[in-house]
Amino acid sequence: MAHYKTRKVLTGITVNECMRMQVSRLPVSAPISKFIRNTIKQKISATLVDDNKGKALGVVSKTDIISAYYAGFPIETPIGDIMTAPPDFCYPDDQLEEAIDNMRHSGNHRLYVLGASDDEIIGTLSYSDIVGLMYRYCRNCIKSRRKSDHFTIEDIPRLIVKEVMTEGISTCQEDTPIIEAAEILLTQKLGAILIQKSQEEAIGVISRTDLIIAFLHEIETIEPVGRIMNSPVVFCNPQSILSEAIQQMFLSDVQRLFVSSSDSKKIIGVLALSDAACFRSGTCKACTASKLIG
Amino acid sequence: MNTLSVMDTNFHHLLPQNTIVDAIRMFKKASASEGKEIFGMMVIDGDGKLVGMLSMYDILLFIQPKHIHILGEMEDLSTEPIFEGLIERVKKICVEDLMSTDLVTIKPETHLMMILDIMNKRHVRRLPVINKEQVVGIVYRSKVFNHLMGKLIN
Repeated sequence: MAHYKTRKVLTGITVNECMRMQVSRLPVSAPISKFIRNTIKQKISATLVDDNKGKALGVVSKTDIISAYYAGFPIETPIGDIMTAPPDFCYPDDQLEEAIDNMRHSGNHRLYVLGASDDEIIGTLSYSDIVGLMYRYCRNCIKSRRKSDHFTIEDIPRLIVKEVMTEGISTCQEDTPIIEAAEILLTQKLGAILIQKSQEEAIGVISRTDLIIAFLHEIETIEPVGRIMNSPVVFCNPQSILSEAIQQMFLSDVQRLFVSSSDSKKIIGVLALSDAACFRSGTCKACTASKLIG
Repeated sequence: MNTLSVMDTNFHHLLPQNTIVDAIRMFKKASASEGKEIFGMMVIDGDGKLVGMLSMYDILLFIQPKHIHILGEMEDLSTEPIFEGLIERVKKICVEDLMSTDLVTIKPETHLMMILDIMNKRHVRRLPVINKEQVVGIVYRSKVFNHLMGKLIN
């Protein structure tokens, strides 16, 4: 009986080809404010918490910080009090596909890569790095548009945003208190909430980063989200080619694009960088189709 | 040959709660009044205590997209409208959010060669001068250079 195995872009790739070598660390006694400032400046979403001697104790992520903001912790609370312990680990020679499965199952957005000994952490693996690798792979692919003397764009069936996006989105109003928005983000495990003025009109976005900046600036959680939201909203079309949408996310430095239908302004879904990472095929259908082996 | 020979006592400073837009304005104003480009300032709190340094580098680092290494490989981009959005983000950020707090300072009696050593090793362009916990001046790398090397061309 023939056994078919689906091979995808990431098949055969190991963690070390994709991991990031810099590991952000803070001691267990560092205040929340220090973490938030590092996050803003270095554009990281989590940091390893160590005991001052290099031993990893846990991880503090934006989610932990939003929980602390929600619960009314003071901004100078030590990160050791709110960290998640222990961190999730992987090894540099692990299969990337297995690592993604682990991330998806644990709901954890990053893994720390262990070196030769168990107390040596040599890197991190996150969704955005995986998407970056896939994007680079597709750019260099023979079927990519750069080499289009061999193929015309029309010849290659390409993935479009609609096939990868998450349908349905969470919204709140401009005058919704910050605390309610934080609750929606935390309980529904979202990266951002769209802020609408009326049923149709999106006026801004409130992301995890906006919430932690509000915490740093000690804005009361009863204030309306309109005060701290980001605008304008970055949109894409459901029929757009996935690679172009990814490029747009990298360029505008956002983690997600809201998908609005071309005829009306109605928002029908959201495309997150993590969706693109979990999809695991490149940005062109030729990739999955041509890689079925017997 | 100590700090005093190269120190500027007429220094400018920022407050932690100034916005980044305020800071950029201050850089411009200070540059005009000093007759040279000033792209970094000390951040001093209400008690006169030095709490950080903010430089052009810190602001540029903030506006840089996270995945710039991937963008570097793209050759077919028209980027201007999108970069405008990145720059707009600065409006929400305060000086204390971006300033460097890992500070290196010197004293009025620090030897000039020691200053040179610190500047070269730590890659800093300006060093605050502290006396009894109060800021008394600043030393710019350009001034150290001119002071030491000016003799060669005169």
